[in-house]
Amino acid sequence: MAIEDPIVTGLANGWKHIDASQLTQDQTLEADVVIVGSGAGGGVAAEIMTEAGLSVIIVEGGPLKSSESFNMEERRAYPNLYQQAASMKTKDKAIGIFQGRAVGGSTTINWTTSIRTPENALAFWAEHKSVEGLSREALTPWFEKMEQRLSITEWPFEPNRNNMAIKQGCEALGWDYTVIKRNVAGCWNTGYCGMGCPVNAKQSMLVTTIPAALDRGATLVSRAKVSKIEHHNDKVYALKAQTLTESLRPSGVQLMLKAKHFILSAGAIHTPALMMRSRLPDPQKLLGKRTFLHPTVLSGALFNDAINGHSGAPQSIYSDQFVWQDGADGELGYKLEVPPIHPVLIASKSLGYGQSHAELMAQFNQLQVTIALMRDGYHADSPGGQVQLTDKGYTLDYPLTDAFWRAARRAFASMAELQFAAGAQKVLPMSEGMPFLPSWQAAKEAIADMTLAPFKTVVASAHVMGGCPLGEDKQMAMVDSRGRSHYLENLSVMDGSLFPTSLGANPQLSIYGITARNASLLAEELGGA
Amino acid sequence: MNRRTFLTTALVGTGALALGVNLYHPPQVRVSASLDQSHRLLFSLLVPVFLDGALPHTQSLRVAAQNRTLDAIVATMDLLPEESRDELEQLLELLESRLGLLLLTGNMTPLLMRQPQELAAMLEAWRTSFLDLMVTAYQGLRELVLASYYSCPEHWTRLNYEKPRLFN
Repeated sequence: MAIEDPIVTGLANGWKHIDASQLTQDQTLEADVVIVGSGAGGGVAAEIMTEAGLSVIIVEGGPLKSSESFNMEERRAYPNLYQQAASMKTKDKAIGIFQGRAVGGSTTINWTTSIRTPENALAFWAEHKSVEGLSREALTPWFEKMEQRLSITEWPFEPNRNNMAIKQGCEALGWDYTVIKRNVAGCWNTGYCGMGCPVNAKQSMLVTTIPAALDRGATLVSRAKVSKIEHHNDKVYALKAQTLTESLRPSGVQLMLKAKHFILSAGAIHTPALMMRSRLPDPQKLLGKRTFLHPTVLSGALFNDAINGHSGAPQSIYSDQFVWQDGADGELGYKLEVPPIHPVLIASKSLGYGQSHAELMAQFNQLQVTIALMRDGYHADSPGGQVQLTDKGYTLDYPLTDAFWRAARRAFASMAELQFAAGAQKVLPMSEGMPFLPSWQAAKEAIADMTLAPFKTVVASAHVMGGCPLGEDKQMAMVDSRGRSHYLENLSVMDGSLFPTSLGANPQLSIYGITARNASLLAEELGGA
Repeated sequence: MNRRTFLTTALVGTGALALGVNLYHPPQVRVSASLDQSHRLLFSLLVPVFLDGALPHTQSLRVAAQNRTLDAIVATMDLLPEESRDELEQLLELLESRLGLLLLTGNMTPLLMRQPQELAAMLEAWRTSFLDLMVTAYQGLRELVLASYYSCPEHWTRLNYEKPRLFN
């Protein structure tokens, strides 16, 4: 059945799209507002700015892809749609990071889980991080607005078997669980959200806010990497960008982007890195510090029946049983979710090689995987990582602390208990030296004694946050609670880099809601309609 | 012969010596030893070890799967960011030199002269090493080989996995 591809249709209707890989001469472009990045922050900001009648240029480092090129294969999706072809790692290589790099940013490849910012996080920010005006009451209308805009509703269908295991385990143990809200409309329930939605059901920025902004005359520049913020005294006067080839390597043409106001929405690594590279004022040396990941550990379980974790909505049930158990700044809590199960993802995030790995992969369809996302940034021993500039770009140094490892051990135990309660035959904590464990009692003992360490324990992340915190106190914040720079009058930040801690929840709806508020306030100030 | 060609030949020559290419050259590996810039010969030794139990048993299918994986490894390496690719190249070049072999494995025996179980023992030693450098070398090669193999749809049959067919 043919489906309409809104990108193809929009381009045919005359959208202003510049694929910078095709440019051969330097150019200067000008608008009221230039937005760097087209993900959850940049997309929402672009729509709100154009709605207010302002002219907008969106600059994106990745390519413009659409459902036509989403073929549900990791070998195409990872290089086309992910930062560093999905092979990004922290400086010591102990944590693998999945982040989007294409028009739509990570919203093009995320698993659709949409959760409002937890009240505990907002209360902590207000009390300890000088954040004002972002209470749950103040944000509720903005969450409602974005939920309506992006069709965010509770997933009405039965969870797939992978998610059902969480539900059954929680029911058996009397633990908390929640049906996830997803940003989809007319979802085919195929389970390939992580490779770009092939039927345009996912209401990512790629098919919602970006097309809306382009319909209102915005200009999209893809495959252009902003390399420098040109500033003088207390104002930004231009951005410099390099064009990239189709394989995203510099192609030697320079772009100069001028505007009344500049919005950075390049994500929690690139926004701080760009500000650092441009030597923006940072008297407290905050930029790039306190970068959070929700570092995540994994537990595999074999069931007798078919799990088929590749099929159906990737995430539809989560458990918050352990997220805030010891208070916000107590021992690190963790959220329990599942990932979709696809060949490259599981082959690389499991253990070993040869016969043992082949045997695990042969049972691919019986494999259930639970993940525990650590809530980092609250405990005194959880300062997060640090974005650092290198000769060739950037790196993220994220040492894993004792507090993290204590939480990881508890999380492995919780996941094993949950999986056995849901009917697992055996459970495999993804850490070197661990065998399949045959019962909850055996798992409890083995996990209490297991060796946990960087490189030995598989740790992954898909949620990069922080590095350019918001708040009123300049001692601890780079921008105010509206996302406006404390130092440059025409610069704002609207992405996950604003968060002064991690969230304890998947970040996309937090970025949508907070950006909707801040972009609306900014549009008013800029004299938009 | 210009200087650049000479240097390249000399380097590949050293690599070939370390791998033992002058002693034995497996017929199924489509590689010209003097032009092996993508390290196909080295990976042709490591692929069967990493994928032991996953590769097909039938000889012709097995050879095809290995060659397909070598192609995929070259393609994957090309997609890596410059810094990662440089690090990987350094590791591969060490494995193709006798001194590098001595540093990484404790002896200078060319990899081509080692039995598969000896190569497995080498990987196992890296995997459990107390040196982070060795563990990351193991993990880098492991991820590259396994991801490249499982990225190919023709290798999914043994998983009973296939992607949905939406539009036909």
